Amino acid sequence: MTVQSQPDDLERRRAKALAMGGEAKLARRREQGFLDARRRIELLFDPGSFHEAGLLSTSVTPKDQARTPADGKIVGYGRIDTREAAVVSNDFTVMGASSSATNGKKIGHIKRVATQRGIPIVFFGESSGARMPDTMGARGMGTMLGADPTQYQRMRETPWAAAVLGDCYGSSIWYTCCSDFSVMRKGAVLAVSSPSLVEQALSETVDPQTLGGWQLHAETTGLVDRFVDTDEEAIAALRKFLSYMPGHNGESPPRAVPQGAGANAAGIGQLLPPRRTQVYDVRKIIAALADRDSLFELKPQFGKVAVTTLARLDGQVIGIVANNPLFKGGALDTDACDKITSFLVLCDSFNIPLVLLVDTPGFSIGPEAERRRAPGKIMNFMNALSLCTVPKLSVILRKSYGQAYLNMGGGRNSDEVAAWPGAEISFMDPHFAVRIVHGHQPDSPEFADALREMERDNSVYGIAEIFSIQAVIRPEETRDHLIRLLEVHQLRRTKGVGEHLMRAWPTSF
Amino acid sequence: MAKLAAKSEVSGSVWKIEVTLGQKVAEGDTLVLIESMKMEIPVIAEQAGAVASILVAEGDAITEGQSVVTLET
Repeated sequence: MTVQSQPDDLERRRAKALAMGGEAKLARRREQGFLDARRRIELLFDPGSFHEAGLLSTSVTPKDQARTPADGKIVGYGRIDTREAAVVSNDFTVMGASSSATNGKKIGHIKRVATQRGIPIVFFGESSGARMPDTMGARGMGTMLGADPTQYQRMRETPWAAAVLGDCYGSSIWYTCCSDFSVMRKGAVLAVSSPSLVEQALSETVDPQTLGGWQLHAETTGLVDRFVDTDEEAIAALRKFLSYMPGHNGESPPRAVPQGAGANAAGIGQLLPPRRTQVYDVRKIIAALADRDSLFELKPQFGKVAVTTLARLDGQVIGIVANNPLFKGGALDTDACDKITSFLVLCDSFNIPLVLLVDTPGFSIGPEAERRRAPGKIMNFMNALSLCTVPKLSVILRKSYGQAYLNMGGGRNSDEVAAWPGAEISFMDPHFAVRIVHGHQPDSPEFADALREMERDNSVYGIAEIFSIQAVIRPEETRDHLIRLLEVHQLRRTKGVGEHLMRAWPTSF
Repeated sequence: MAKLAAKSEVSGSVWKIEVTLGQKVAEGDTLVLIESMKMEIPVIAEQAGAVASILVAEGDAITEGQSVVTLET
C-alpha cells in the first residue's frame, strides 16, 4: 500500500460507516416516517457540533465485519443549546442494533466520559437485544456479558434522557429504565421480550402495543414520562428536559431569563372554587404561579391525583409537586406516591428546589389501597421527602389532612410552610371526626354543633399562632412569596449543591 | 354512532345526576357527581354526545370503575 492510497482507504471506510445498514433499509424507514440513527443525532445537537467516537468500529466477528457499520450503535459528543452532551444512538438497520462486544465497549466509554467530565447522556432507544448467536452458550455468555460490573450501575452523577423510538428490547429498555427522563413515540414498543419470543415461551399471541405500547406506559406502568407522535417531537422533548438540568450534579441548573408570570397570576384566587367540596384542576393554579410557558409535566396520565412538573420561577428551575383535586378529590393513591417519590429523587439529585402545593383529603384508603402496598409506598414517599437536601417550600391551598400533611411538607418537612387564608388543617375530615370523637350520627341534633366546633378548630390561624406554619398569604401573594424565599434558602455554603442522599435509589421508577 | 360508557373513578355514593335522558353534552361536561371522601367528584363526558342511558339513581352506592351513564357519540 502506498502512502497516497491511504487517504482513499480512510475515506472509503468512512463512507461505508456513514451509509449505515444500506439504502434499501433506510428508504423503508423514511417511508414509515422514522428518522435514521444519524439524522436523530443531527437534530439533537447544535448544527455541526457532533463529534463521533468509533466511526470505524465494527463487529469483532470476522464474518460480520462488512455488515456492521459503527457496529449498530453510534456514539459521540455534541452541543445542545451550546452545552456539551453525549449520545448513544441505536442504528436498527445494522443487525437490529443488537448488543455486541464492540458496541458494548462504545457505550461503556461514553458513560465513563460523561460521568467523569460531567455531561448529560442522551439514549436513542431502538434495539433488538443481545446479538445472536454470539451470546449463545456458556462461552458466549461468558464472553459477551458481565465483564463490566458498572454496566447497569446508576449513581445519577449526570442527567440521562432516553427516547423510545421503535422496538426497544435489551439494552434500550434497560437504559430507558435507568434514565432520569424518557419520552416515547406512539407506535414504539418498550418491553422485556419481543412478542415473538413471548409467543414461543408462553404459547400466547400478544399484540406488541398490548405488550409494551404507549398507552400501557402512559396509564398503567408510568415507566415513561412523555408521549409524542414523531421522532422530531421526541428530540424536542429531550432537548427541553435537559434545559432544566445542570450538566452534572455538582452544579446548579442553568438560570433562564425571567419571562414574567403566567396568565391569570392576579386572578389566581378565583381558580379555587368557593365550596370546599368542589373539585378543580390544580394545573391552572400552577400555570398562574410559574413563569409564563415554563411548565414541563412528567407522567401526566399516570397517578393523576398528583401533578409533578418542572417549572421556572423568576428564571430559576424548580420542581412542583401538587395534589390535583380534579381526580379522586386529590386523595393520594399508590401510583401518585410512586410518581412523587421518583420526582423528588430527580429534583434532589440535580439540585432543583421543590415547591409543594397542598390540597388533599389524605391518602386513598380501603382494601384496594392495602393490596397495592399503600403503607410501604407512603413511607417511601415520606422518606424521600425527608432525605431531600434541596430547598423545600410548601403552600397549603385548601386542605391538608392526616399523614398526608407530613408527606406534603407539613411541619418541619419543608423549610417554610405557608397557607392560604381559607385553608384547613386537621387529622381527618371533620364529618368523620365528629362521629369518632363524639359518637354523634349525622342526622342527630348534636351533630351540627359539634361539626361547627371541629371546623373552627381547623382554621389556619391556630397553627400560625403556634408557629407551625410560617405565613398566611393571599393567593395573589404566593408567587412573590416563593420567589423571595427561594432567594433566602439558596444553598450558599455549597454553591447550590445538595447532598444527593438518594442518588442511587430507587434505580428505576 | 358509538356507545361510550362514562365510569366513576372512585367508590362512593351518587350525589347528583346532572343530565337527563337524550340531553346533548359537550366534552368535559359533568354527567354525575359522586360523593366520596366528603368531596364532589365529577364523572365527566370524555367525548361530546347524547345521554343514551342513566344507569344509577341518586343515593346509590357505587364502586370504582362502575359505569354510570352511557353516551351515544
